[in-house]
Amino acid sequence: MSLSAVTGRRCFLQESVLGLGSVALASLMDRRSATGARAVEANRSLTARASQFAPRAKNVIFLFMAGGPSQLELFDNKPSLRKYAGQRVPNSVLGNQELPFIERDATLMPSPLRFSRHGESGAELSEALPRLAEVVDDIAIVRSMHTDAFNHAPAQIFLHTGHLQLGKPSMGSWISYGLGSECSDLPAFVVLTTGQGVSGGASCYGNGFLPSVHQGVTLRSEGDPILFLGDPKGIDRSIQRDTIDALGHLNRHRVDIVGDPEIETRIAAYEMAFRMQTSAPDLIDVGQESKTTLELYGVTPGEPSFAGTCLLARRLVERGTRFVELMYKGWDHHSDVEGGVKKICGRADQPVAALIKDLRQRGLLDETLVVWGGEFGRTPMVEDNPALGRTRGRDHHPNAYTMWMAGGGINPGQTIGKTDELGYHVTEDPVHIHDLQATILHLLGIEHTELTFQHQGRDFRLTDVEGEIVEKLLG
Amino acid sequence: MNIRYTIPGRRLVLSWLLLPFIAVLVAKADEHWAFQPPVRPELPVIVNEKWHRNPIDRFVVARLQDEGLKPSPRAEKATLLRRLSLDLTGLPPMKEDMDAFTADNEPGAWERLVEQLLKSPHYGERWAVWWLDGARYADTNGYEVDRPRMIWAWRDWVIRSLNNDMPFDQFTIEQMAGDLLPGATIQQRIATGFHRNTFMNEEGAHDWEQFRYESIVDRVHTTATVFMGLTLACAQCHDHKYDPFTQEEYFQFFAMLNNADEPELEVPVEDILTRQAEIDARIAHMEADRPQHFPLDSELPNANGLATDSEQKQRRKHLQRRFTEWVERESETAVRWHLLRPRHAVSTNNATMTVLEDGSLLVTGDRPELDTYEIVCDTDLQQITGFRLEAIPDPRLPNHGPGRGSVMSDGTFVVTEFDVDAQPLVASEQHESAFEIQSFNFVRADATYQNERRTVDKAIDNNRLTSWHTNNAARRRHVAVFQNDEPYAAGGMTKLTITILQNFLHQQTLGRFRLFVTDHEQTLSASLRDPVIDSILLADAAERSEQDIEQLKEHYLSVAEELTEYNKAIAELRTNRPQLPTTMVLSERSVQRPTHLHERGEYRRPAAIVSAGVPDALHPLTGNEIPSRLSLAKWIVDRRNPLTARVIVNRIWQQYFGQGLVNTPEDFGSQGMLPSHPELLDWLAVEFMEQNWSLKSLHRLIVNSATWQQSSQTTLQQQNRDPENILLGRGPRHRVSAEMVRDILLATSGLLNRRIGGPSVFPAQPAGALAGFGGFKWSTSEGGDQYRRSLYTFRQRAAPFAMSSLFDAPPGLTCTVKRRRSTTPLQSLALLNDSLTIEASRALAEKILGERGTSQDEKLILAFETCTTRSPDLHELQTIRDFHEEQKLHLTDRPHVAAALTGSEQPADAVASAESAAWTVTVRLLLNLHEVIVKQ
Repeated sequence: MSLSAVTGRRCFLQESVLGLGSVALASLMDRRSATGARAVEANRSLTARASQFAPRAKNVIFLFMAGGPSQLELFDNKPSLRKYAGQRVPNSVLGNQELPFIERDATLMPSPLRFSRHGESGAELSEALPRLAEVVDDIAIVRSMHTDAFNHAPAQIFLHTGHLQLGKPSMGSWISYGLGSECSDLPAFVVLTTGQGVSGGASCYGNGFLPSVHQGVTLRSEGDPILFLGDPKGIDRSIQRDTIDALGHLNRHRVDIVGDPEIETRIAAYEMAFRMQTSAPDLIDVGQESKTTLELYGVTPGEPSFAGTCLLARRLVERGTRFVELMYKGWDHHSDVEGGVKKICGRADQPVAALIKDLRQRGLLDETLVVWGGEFGRTPMVEDNPALGRTRGRDHHPNAYTMWMAGGGINPGQTIGKTDELGYHVTEDPVHIHDLQATILHLLGIEHTELTFQHQGRDFRLTDVEGEIVEKLLG
Repeated sequence: MNIRYTIPGRRLVLSWLLLPFIAVLVAKADEHWAFQPPVRPELPVIVNEKWHRNPIDRFVVARLQDEGLKPSPRAEKATLLRRLSLDLTGLPPMKEDMDAFTADNEPGAWERLVEQLLKSPHYGERWAVWWLDGARYADTNGYEVDRPRMIWAWRDWVIRSLNNDMPFDQFTIEQMAGDLLPGATIQQRIATGFHRNTFMNEEGAHDWEQFRYESIVDRVHTTATVFMGLTLACAQCHDHKYDPFTQEEYFQFFAMLNNADEPELEVPVEDILTRQAEIDARIAHMEADRPQHFPLDSELPNANGLATDSEQKQRRKHLQRRFTEWVERESETAVRWHLLRPRHAVSTNNATMTVLEDGSLLVTGDRPELDTYEIVCDTDLQQITGFRLEAIPDPRLPNHGPGRGSVMSDGTFVVTEFDVDAQPLVASEQHESAFEIQSFNFVRADATYQNERRTVDKAIDNNRLTSWHTNNAARRRHVAVFQNDEPYAAGGMTKLTITILQNFLHQQTLGRFRLFVTDHEQTLSASLRDPVIDSILLADAAERSEQDIEQLKEHYLSVAEELTEYNKAIAELRTNRPQLPTTMVLSERSVQRPTHLHERGEYRRPAAIVSAGVPDALHPLTGNEIPSRLSLAKWIVDRRNPLTARVIVNRIWQQYFGQGLVNTPEDFGSQGMLPSHPELLDWLAVEFMEQNWSLKSLHRLIVNSATWQQSSQTTLQQQNRDPENILLGRGPRHRVSAEMVRDILLATSGLLNRRIGGPSVFPAQPAGALAGFGGFKWSTSEGGDQYRRSLYTFRQRAAPFAMSSLFDAPPGLTCTVKRRRSTTPLQSLALLNDSLTIEASRALAEKILGERGTSQDEKLILAFETCTTRSPDLHELQTIRDFHEEQKLHLTDRPHVAAALTGSEQPADAVASAESAAWTVTVRLLLNLHEVIVKQ
């Protein structure tokens, strides 16, 4: 499918009954009346909606590195750890912090990986990221992230939903709710996983209390790319087309008799289902890509890989998908952090760098915000535990870790934030998860305090009751 | 009553619909309506007397009259039949039901139908779904590991209680505090599973107490929401911003829920109990029969050629001889173990330790990740050389223990360090001071179970990172012995302080164990043999009583080499003895857990201790005892409670009409919506309580009302004036729940398996639908279990069943009292392409084709009626006929497509195959009609 063909279909939703036109954010607040609320909610589907103010980005690709990548092996160079190697962390630094797997007397371990400066910006990266080094001037590194939880599932749910309790909408759902979709035949919020799913499970891309049309749709690498997408055995395209036509006919006949407008929505849903059956297989057919592109990412068509999902992410934003999330598990290096980081970067470094290059090449980087990071970082102390068979690993660390962002509205080529000489605490420009979320919404043209939804007696929002925009990140 | 909050006028942007009610509000602006107990209002006088059928209708018509609107006429009989059937049983009527009911013109036909459906066992299933949402029921533990849990017995309790029309006040009390009722039955204890539907974190190395705290937070939220429509959860971090609840009151409420332990309970399933009893009888018989199986002495000549009598005698003699030899041999090595009866035992992480009759300690209550036990015992032994630790299985422990491990390896434990300090109780020759504490220095350890690397000597290596492990060895006794470097010489009584450090993961701590001490001077080895046997062995032969000898012999027979094979058969019977399923319950602690107020609601910021109680703004508790879960339960269903009856009536109403009279069923506080029919709500609430909280009476009242029986056809005027049908000027019309969508497919096609209750099942879903979460395998159920009602589909929190989440079923994460109803393309894909649709279409097509002597049109009409419970009009028939003809042509030309549809490899007859395939395609079309999944 050519790009123009895709764009040509984008107007579908605006015209169809799936939405009754653009609903300004402010009007969402008017929910106190008995009728008003319901009407607004019912109509708030996937119609593309204008941002509150000029957006810097239209789409987001969130590269979620599940497990907690070690910032000390990747971004946050701490030569002083060599000096303190084998020593305990002073109590004054530890405070009353609890650690999941290691004891308070665990000793400090310097990174075995070498760091060097790259690009015009001179950003420091470890030897595990040679390809990212090539695009380092396109990204902004935040070394001062911190979060509220240190077990995987709660921390992942916190990163995605802004709340530690379950059942809240994820970032992608909030953004789909706030901005709708620009794509008529694919969902607004698409989730791609490689291999195993993540700890937080479906809660990481659930719609919570938002209408379920905003829930993340997983694009699967096994079987149908979207659940129930393929025609069942014995149903060919002609039968499917005829069936949907006859259904439309019979259903519309009922509208005339019973006067229920909901039937029109159902008819439109069947039509879109039929279109998705064509467009989704087309989307995942990476064989259409040039050899150069495939090599850039390191993709072999037909072989599921993280690289493949990076390429799909580009194909999705190209088609107007609002929020693409890639979940890549395998960063939880309780043992052999050196070997573990090298191994996973062997698979994850090239495709991520390729994604940045590819987006830039196609002029999509300006309108696409790319976010890379995990639910927390890792301790400067070593994890050695013979009972668990662990040696030279690092434990979970919520106090200070690194993420990076690129593209839409980001001022690239800079490194924000500092940590202390042990890499234990943030000392400069702390960025909390809620700040990150506020900034992402801001770049999409949404004021994070105003994107709310009333549920169980109060207005909820992605950033709970906090969140400051990280001005330094903005271009 | 102390109302501290008044409604801020600025937040009430009211529509014209509510204008009449505003007057009332303004008059009582300082008293929120929902906090005033409902009083039965007078029935309004109405003009249209003919239309109304019961009091509900008077309120509805009066309101419509005020707006200058009229109610709609009664819906057609067939429509009502389908509506009623879906509302009361969640299943569509069968074609026969339709024929019978439309033909029945006798008076009372409707009432008979209502009673018949209220008596159907499927009634309890349909309404259980309603209750399960609020209870956040699921079959897995949630969070990262999300392992399966067993709590379906509670779900079955709900179905049964609803079918029996248990009064709602009792239904509430038993679920909140069934364990606290005098003489609580097993069923009443099973009912407390309601609050066990909280998450359990099984991630390694978490802070158990933190997640227990989170689960109480969830219980507060659920209790307040599901019974009373209160947003009490808002007061966790600060005083409620809009309703009269302080943060302190939040934690007072919390305190009533904070005093429970969370054990599992075995569910007495009749046929398992019978099988267990059979096996037990067999084991007892085989054990008694052991002497008869003792072999003949092969060393004696002619052993095989002797007569029966003397063979018996020979056998007995042989046994006697071998037994005597064994006693002599064993007496030499027996060790005298003295039981240490704990006088004090404490768990560092707040588990409950109880001394049992046999001197063993049972550990229950809190289940910390790691724990250290400190046990104090006294002994009068003059010399101490070693200790024996005996871990004992017990049905009260996960997987029967002996450990408390309940995550990766159920019932297992570790011992990281085993330390003993001795202290003389009085000064003596050996110990000048009674304060002299001496630590044992263990140099040898032995155990009856050791796995390769994690051996028992790790328990005495002074390394807190290594332990003796018993993984994969649950449901067995384990014994470890620890030997001192040199004997400890005591002068008199000695106080022993035994510290057992258990420093691993996943709650792998000891669940039940005994301790022994010895003065034995030879090398100690671990043995499962009961120390009582050793004592008998060590006694002088003359001193042994007959009973002692009997006991010795019994023991000998259980270990005799000659009976190895025979005993193995007994052991096998024991291993394969069927186990009772368990269910998760609450059980009140005898020692009160203190409840703190937590600053900003954060677990890590406990502040002052608060006492249990209820918010001041509501009615007080009755009774003078310390408020417990039971007090709370009774308070919830107290007739003075202004909220419970209203909230429940509203949520029942919501099931019928798609929305409640209060459209914020989760919030009856000042921020919630106002009721559209406040007097009707109050009338129903009072009626509900006065009908002894009978849910079935309430259902009867609603379905017998003219309001519910109205036609749901919408006129343009109605669409413009009242698009959401808030004024109830027409009948309900909305998509059915996720469960009903699938159940309709199953029932309409005849595939449905109507079995009630039991463990959850795994219907087919596309490969990889779970995306590999937690490595959990969805193995599709065999046979009929695939076609059970959706209520029984296994609910996995991290990756819900695809058809459920697509149609807005909540995943059981939090209390849900209002489902969304979305219409999405993904639903259309599922309805078109799921293998279930094809199976259902094929099954119904076969049935239709099997109708002999009917024309094609008659068959088409039959198919249509079966799917929709109404006859097609001419236009519809024409459309279906054209479609059917066209598909038949298409399929005749494509025999391979037809074959794929009918599921046969080699169709015998191409024409018949195309015919059959075309019917499958046509039925698939009909099953996809919007009205099939809409209650109208």
